[in-house]
Amino acid sequence: MKKRLTAIYTGKMLNKKRDNKIIKINNNFHIKGLNLNKKGFIQISFTWLFAIIIGAIILFFAIYASVKLMKTEESVSSAEAGREISVLLNPLETGFGEEKTTPLTIPVESRLNNRCESFTGFGEQEVSVSQKIRGKWTYAGVGSVTYNKYIFSNKSVQGKNFYLFSKPLEFPFKIADLIFLTSAEESYCFIDSPEKIQEELTSLSQANLFTENCPSDSIKVCFEGGEDCVVAVDINDRTVEKDGSIVYFETDSLMYGAVFSDKEIYECQVQRLMKRLKELAFIYNDKENIISVKGCPAEVNLLGLADSASSLRDSSDLVVVKAAADDVEDENERAYCELW
Amino acid sequence: MVKMKKINKRLSLVRSTPSMLGQRKAQMKIQQMAFMLIAVTIFLVMAGMFILMIRFSSLQDTAKLLDERNALLLVSKIADSPEFSCGNAFGAARSNCIDTDKVMALTGRLRDYPGFWGVSGIEIRKIYPAGTGTECSLENYPECEKITVVDSGEGTGVSNFVSLCRKEQNNLIYDKCELGRIIVTYKGND
Repeated sequence: MKKRLTAIYTGKMLNKKRDNKIIKINNNFHIKGLNLNKKGFIQISFTWLFAIIIGAIILFFAIYASVKLMKTEESVSSAEAGREISVLLNPLETGFGEEKTTPLTIPVESRLNNRCESFTGFGEQEVSVSQKIRGKWTYAGVGSVTYNKYIFSNKSVQGKNFYLFSKPLEFPFKIADLIFLTSAEESYCFIDSPEKIQEELTSLSQANLFTENCPSDSIKVCFEGGEDCVVAVDINDRTVEKDGSIVYFETDSLMYGAVFSDKEIYECQVQRLMKRLKELAFIYNDKENIISVKGCPAEVNLLGLADSASSLRDSSDLVVVKAAADDVEDENERAYCELW
Repeated sequence: MVKMKKINKRLSLVRSTPSMLGQRKAQMKIQQMAFMLIAVTIFLVMAGMFILMIRFSSLQDTAKLLDERNALLLVSKIADSPEFSCGNAFGAARSNCIDTDKVMALTGRLRDYPGFWGVSGIEIRKIYPAGTGTECSLENYPECEKITVVDSGEGTGVSNFVSLCRKEQNNLIYDKCELGRIIVTYKGND
């Protein structure tokens, strides 16, 4: 007859062994009459063993699939958010000589990752979103790639509320609308900025850009030096110093770009913009040929501008392109048929 | 006969040994469990596939919706992009104005613009004065009505009214603007 195992609560740990019989085996229970020498002292039928193993395997796969599915869902949600942001950038296309600002709110705390690549064609602009779900940052899903957008920001901008401010870049004709992305959590204080910049920022009414009465924790953008300057703008030399590195700009649009973005992003976007400038110069050159048939004399030398744009290595060469652009602008203003 | 009966009786005794009966029962149980497990696995796989199918179908819908929104927002703004816009070339700066001379120049350089606008088709049509719908080329321009910037093939189109301006000559060079439509196409019926 099989011995029945009886567990009796003792409330204290004894661990005594007498004649190969365990009397107490853990701190709260002891098992009476269990003979370790006897075969099959724990009887589990094969059916149970089989069911337990297969059940465990099924459970493991179910949990694994659920976790994978959850991660995929998070990536999908991030990818959707990225694509949605790219779509929402379309209305930021401006008309002639105007600036626009628009708020962007994401339901959860997010990181907008800005990636710029300038090697192929017109280069690429990728926006990917990483969201904070249950206190953890999700993997930034598949980014949304665009070729005709130029976003100037740090590599990663964090928050729930963001501002998108766009301004056209004219060099001398409109090349693109530059988009400046900032988080509502970061405010910028433009100290001693030129009157034109002050007027522009005031008319924009973007809640995180200040020209006076700046919050104490704002990022100080100094135009004439000063203390605690995070960004130093030199209007005369056309340089912006940020994080110990200097970048060069021409026109106010690129100045904003240099203020709001990392050096790497800025240089990459400048490269992309110059590629577009080159292509637009070719298009205007072809237009000149088309309208010359109608009697408009070809008076603007655009190939020189295209050449200087294509030979740009970094932002320090912008001054050369600007000189060519100024020449072309003068020629266009004097031309019988203006090209732009 | 009696001998045979005795043998059969012995055999039946052997067959009905309790340990062997137990083995057969266990085999049956294992078979039952195996079939049950296969059924459960198939059910779980099918349920999973069903969930995935629903999820991917909703993903496709979302992608389509975003494409549609992209096209709708793009069509209202594309005329102001530098490759199309009139700028100051026709007097004062104006919005929703397309410089067709520039667009014709662009059509010759489209190989440099693959996927640039992120839509499957862009077409500009003159609607007034109406014509025969002739496709524009450098040979017949401006005696034509349609400029295909990006050839879409098939898709859903959204359009916006624009003015189409160009330089014309009639003894003097002058600006001529006509009413047109820009149509942006996205792949909505796939």
